Amino acid sequence: MKASARSVLARALAERRVVIVCGAGGVGKTTTAAALAVHAAVQGRRVLVCTIDPSRRLATSLGLQKLPEKPRRLDLSQLDGGLGAQPQRAQAERFLGRERAIHSRASDSMDEKREAGAPGRSGVSPQGPSAGIHFRREPPNAPSGEAWAMTLDTKRTFDALVERHAGSEAARRRILDNRFYQKVSAALAGSHEFMAMEKLLELSADERFDLVVLDTPPTRHALDFLEAPDRMMGFLDASVLRWFLKPYFAAGRLTLKVATRAGRVALGLVDRYLGLRFLQDLSEFFLAFESMYAGFKERAAAVHVLLRGQSAGFVLVASPARVAVDEALYFYERLREAGMPFVATVVNRVHPDPAEPAAGRPRQRKAAVAHVDTDLARALLQAYDDLHRLARAERRVITRLEVDTGEPLLLVPELESDVHDLRGLAHVAELMLGEETEPAKKRRAR
Amino acid sequence: MLIDDLLARRLVVLSGKGGVGKSLVGAALAVAAHRRGKRVLLVEVDTPAVAEAGRFLGAGPGGGAERELRPGLSTLNLHPGAVMEEYVRHTVRAEFLARRVLDSPLYHRFFAAAPGLKELMTLGKVMTLEEGRSGWSRNPRYDLIVLDAPATGHGLAFLKVPLAAAETVPVGPVGSNARRILDLLRDAERTALVVVAVPEEMAVVEALEFHRMAVEQVGMTACALVLNACHERRFTKAQESEVLRLTAEEATGTLPGGVSLSAALDAARRLLRRERMTRFYQGRLRRALALPLVSLPFLFQEQIGPAQVEQMADRLEAA
Repeated sequence: MKASARSVLARALAERRVVIVCGAGGVGKTTTAAALAVHAAVQGRRVLVCTIDPSRRLATSLGLQKLPEKPRRLDLSQLDGGLGAQPQRAQAERFLGRERAIHSRASDSMDEKREAGAPGRSGVSPQGPSAGIHFRREPPNAPSGEAWAMTLDTKRTFDALVERHAGSEAARRRILDNRFYQKVSAALAGSHEFMAMEKLLELSADERFDLVVLDTPPTRHALDFLEAPDRMMGFLDASVLRWFLKPYFAAGRLTLKVATRAGRVALGLVDRYLGLRFLQDLSEFFLAFESMYAGFKERAAAVHVLLRGQSAGFVLVASPARVAVDEALYFYERLREAGMPFVATVVNRVHPDPAEPAAGRPRQRKAAVAHVDTDLARALLQAYDDLHRLARAERRVITRLEVDTGEPLLLVPELESDVHDLRGLAHVAELMLGEETEPAKKRRAR
Repeated sequence: MLIDDLLARRLVVLSGKGGVGKSLVGAALAVAAHRRGKRVLLVEVDTPAVAEAGRFLGAGPGGGAERELRPGLSTLNLHPGAVMEEYVRHTVRAEFLARRVLDSPLYHRFFAAAPGLKELMTLGKVMTLEEGRSGWSRNPRYDLIVLDAPATGHGLAFLKVPLAAAETVPVGPVGSNARRILDLLRDAERTALVVVAVPEEMAVVEALEFHRMAVEQVGMTACALVLNACHERRFTKAQESEVLRLTAEEATGTLPGGVSLSAALDAARRLLRRERMTRFYQGRLRRALALPLVSLPFLFQEQIGPAQVEQMADRLEAA
């Protein structure tokens, strides 16, 4: 039997250097990436979670207004008694309003789990999770991990790359001042992915971090992301230029000296449709880049090796919707084809089926059988049927994902409230990677 | 009526976080417009394998050509790579030459990889469609084009391409086309932006952020917010208190059909929570932006097909 997705994922987080989280839009990818990072930090690793998504989702999920473009350390003290110094722990406990309860049991050194308020009893607080937070006490002197977060600034990364590889100050300025470069490096779709790979390579060698968790843009763009280094290298390839642009401008004036007929046609098109100044910008750009090409190529080759090595791992995230599963399957195939190391599939937002008794639900008291009037009974049945139907449909889709990939899945239930702070993330991590619940064990045993 | 406001335009651009149901909203909007006698084209920008809008309207996944699903209602799936090939073929009339251009290393290594070029071509194609005329009367071929744009983050990059291109390529047809595309996007009379979200923190934050940047950086005008997957009231206030009371009491019993009362209460409680979230985010969006807000219901169906699209179109028409 295959190892459970849970243990495979936990091991990857403990051992690998780079974990890349990918999947369709809206499946909880960012939340998953952040939760995995928080989990690994709680386990003692120094983790950086980095997003290349141009939208600022990761900041939201971490409960921050904005993410810095340089790694910033997150304050985990609010999370877990085992991390950080004692005063921080006390502060965290006060924050959670559980001070007294914890002090009264301060002598317990064993792991303990405590519900910080039963979900669903009080009014909803869309600002934060009210679901149970689990506390795990670490033994004294446990290695304390660190969690860091950052967002990718495409332009700055590109500039840094140019600065690293430019042979001279003049070459550097020629590129940085080039109009074409300024537009391409800053805003355009495609350069994000290329720069993300560059950044990933840089971060994977950063001694401050044991693990880099990367949150990628939605699937189709994540594919771009896998292919980005190769495509960008193709784009920047000097041999193409020698064949094409250089003879065009080397003479300093317009002479159409292209060897092949197709080349002439292509060049004619470019001239006709892009105009002279653009061609000048472009050829300046490429000529200036020529000296750096070897350096870039080396980096791209290093990325290629990094992504296929055993220190990297891909976590595929899906939601139990048909479209998300189609995309997950598509992406899974592509990862396999490309020889990328696959870790596990996480399926988020799985609705519990009301027809199946939930694990850990308190045993029924012997209450009198309640009287429910007809209208309410009808509305209740409708609610039950709706969720039951939804859960069954989801189950079918999940089964398809499991069968078609042949990989074990990790199911995360739909949470009762939004997750967008560290405590919520720790809760998600607990759901993903904490102790296996009895029903899950049984399901696997079947 | 919101729908009339939207239908007065030529182009409606839909954007939002991935997974919020843009394609469904796009299909519903196209159907609503079609019901009012408009000739509508629904455009998706996607690889054919995952294009959905056509499927929602009951057609299988299609290639890169316009398909008339019913008279006056067409879909088109624009795959940026294919649009570019089409452009080359159109420009280089001779097929054998076009083939050689497309097969040349230059094309593959340079044009196919040039950042932003495909996006520009795709928007250019949308503009061409908008300008399309037919028949003796020279009437527009389509009264309304609904563009299901890529999800936000990348959606903004997508919409910013003409701006970047207009600045990078100051002369020549590409530059002037980029400026024309930009004019179309910025023209509030012709083009409206509709931002789609679901009642969840990240989707709402992203919708607001996207709206701000699309207005400030691209210069577009937003026309409406659509909040998809809303949980609407299914219990009266009195029933809601009753559900909470019974839950607190851990009431037991059996409902008609042999369903356990506690299981039904649990389901009801979960849905009530989602209802509160829905109301919370409706309020937040209303406070944040002075735009019409349309709420569309959460669908419990597994398969979303033409019937659900019609249902959503009803809602859009009533908004």
